[in-house]
Amino acid sequence: MKNFNIILGLVLLGLTSLSVQSAEIRDYHKEVIGKDCKTCHDNGIKQFPSDQSCLQCHDVDDLAKKTARSEEDKWQNPHNNLHYGKDVPCQECHSEHKTKQPLCSNCHTFKFDKHKG
Amino acid sequence: MSNIDLLGRRKFIAGLGIAAGAAMVAPAMAVSEKADGVKWDKEVEIVIIGSGFAGLAAAIEATKHGAKDVHIFEKMSYFGGNSAINGGLFAAPGTPMQKKEGVEDSVDRMVNDQLLSGRGIADEGLLRHVASHAVEALQMTLDAGSEYHPYLQQLGGHSVARTYQTSVSCGAGITQPLYKECKRIGVNTHNRSKFEGFLVGNKGEVVGVKMRQNYHFGEDQPGKVLNIRAKRGVIMATGGFAQNVDLRMAQDPTLTADVGCTNAPGATGEGMFEMFRLGAIPVHLAHIQSGPWASPDEGGFGYVSNYSIFNLPHSIAVSRTTGQRFMNEIADRKTRADAELSNRDEKGNPVPPLLISSFKDSKAHPNTEKVIKYNVGWKFESLEELATHFGVPLAGLKAQIAEYNGYVKSGEDKQFGKDMTLAKNKMIEAPFTVVRLWPKVHYCQGGVKVNTKAEVTDSFTGKSITGLYAAGEVCGGIHGVSRLGSCSIPECMVMGMTAARSLMNV
Repeated sequence: MKNFNIILGLVLLGLTSLSVQSAEIRDYHKEVIGKDCKTCHDNGIKQFPSDQSCLQCHDVDDLAKKTARSEEDKWQNPHNNLHYGKDVPCQECHSEHKTKQPLCSNCHTFKFDKHKG
Repeated sequence: MSNIDLLGRRKFIAGLGIAAGAAMVAPAMAVSEKADGVKWDKEVEIVIIGSGFAGLAAAIEATKHGAKDVHIFEKMSYFGGNSAINGGLFAAPGTPMQKKEGVEDSVDRMVNDQLLSGRGIADEGLLRHVASHAVEALQMTLDAGSEYHPYLQQLGGHSVARTYQTSVSCGAGITQPLYKECKRIGVNTHNRSKFEGFLVGNKGEVVGVKMRQNYHFGEDQPGKVLNIRAKRGVIMATGGFAQNVDLRMAQDPTLTADVGCTNAPGATGEGMFEMFRLGAIPVHLAHIQSGPWASPDEGGFGYVSNYSIFNLPHSIAVSRTTGQRFMNEIADRKTRADAELSNRDEKGNPVPPLLISSFKDSKAHPNTEKVIKYNVGWKFESLEELATHFGVPLAGLKAQIAEYNGYVKSGEDKQFGKDMTLAKNKMIEAPFTVVRLWPKVHYCQGGVKVNTKAEVTDSFTGKSITGLYAAGEVCGGIHGVSRLGSCSIPECMVMGMTAARSLMNV
């Protein structure tokens, strides 16, 4: 709720600091997202982006290859995992406005060192 | 932000008040209402709420019997519900693997085992219905591509080995194939779709549902609510409420937020409570089961739960302060959970007991290497090393192991009467594998009352509520006080299939 109010508040006041905040998490988003909220917010600014939004640029098969683990730990691949295959929407573990924990950490102690939230 | 949705909704509305300047319409309250005059946004043949074992099995079975327009709605962003994150253990009587292993079993025997654990208040008719159709349900998973370990397990409270386990040791070994099968046969699936109440006809029949779109669990935002008409009916397969701390504490005040829970975060019970509001009979809500095989060293079900379930028959659970056993390691879940919870220091703080196995026997289960690798279980070369690590009195532990090994030889456990069949020839000896045990909230025996057609019974008329069916953990009373392990998956699947057959009039 708190987060929603903050976002809403900022939008209402016409501030554009959000996109700056998002680029603080991932430098490589600075150029592609810039200050245009609509790059991601395809459902309107008041709604979370759709689960297809990230897929404008990212491909889950490529991501699954990048995060593949050894045969014995293959099901720990966050982009192709035991419980949900390749179907976990990006926003479940990733956010542009705050840091998130990986879904796996609800139950497991294995780590994702490169996960930025 | 609370994960408890009923509270979340209240906060949501309060939050909208703060943001009153925004051109936003307050969402409809999450209650059922008369369908009279409602504008239908969509009309479908069958609505299924929830995408766990029960919902998926219902969709496949309905399609098999000719349904053309089946829709599964899932609140979370991913499909599978709590079914995707449990042990994948499936009990059935008279299976091909029992024939191969020479295990004598029957529907009666399975029902009798369950009645014992139910402590006099289980529903024999429903148990018998599920056990009678369990092999059909197992076959549905095999047809969809589920694979199982090539051996049977004997879980706590079962008088014979009758439990299959998926080869990935997880319910996902069933939900993933069933979900893919749903896609293949044309079932429509909708994630981020939140059930907001029933739409009810003039005679009290369920004619449709209100579904919120683009729902983000644990966040508040105004997704649009659609009125969806269900021509044949609505199947509620929404699971239990173990993750709803307020509601579970209302039933059992000992189940505070500090008590761990194996369930998926979405197991918050709104579907069930909405059925109560409609008139469904609440049954056994206070019987909330904790899993005695869980570990305090990881979250949820994790890796240890399956490790323990496999190893308990040929292992000993000992108190850390005495080195002595304190329970039959394969008693029913409630007996064991209660026994474990009594392991405390003089101030009443938990001292989780130890499950000690021979490494040579534990390693037959694939999770053994995981628990050691991820530091939620430990391997010791000697008893001295083990005793020092956990501060267990060595003499007591040594004497206990010698005594227990005598029971392994004689086949009779004189301490706790454990069935030693699966412990045969499995002496407890070095090197050892050890995990810590502490119960976690796992399963709600309570829910709405259903009959063997999966129809939901109305509190006031005693008749079935037209158009409404329920299957799986959302239903109550089937298992009584304590459900036996591996009996939920067959129940979910059989009752899901049953609901579909009722809807399709077969």
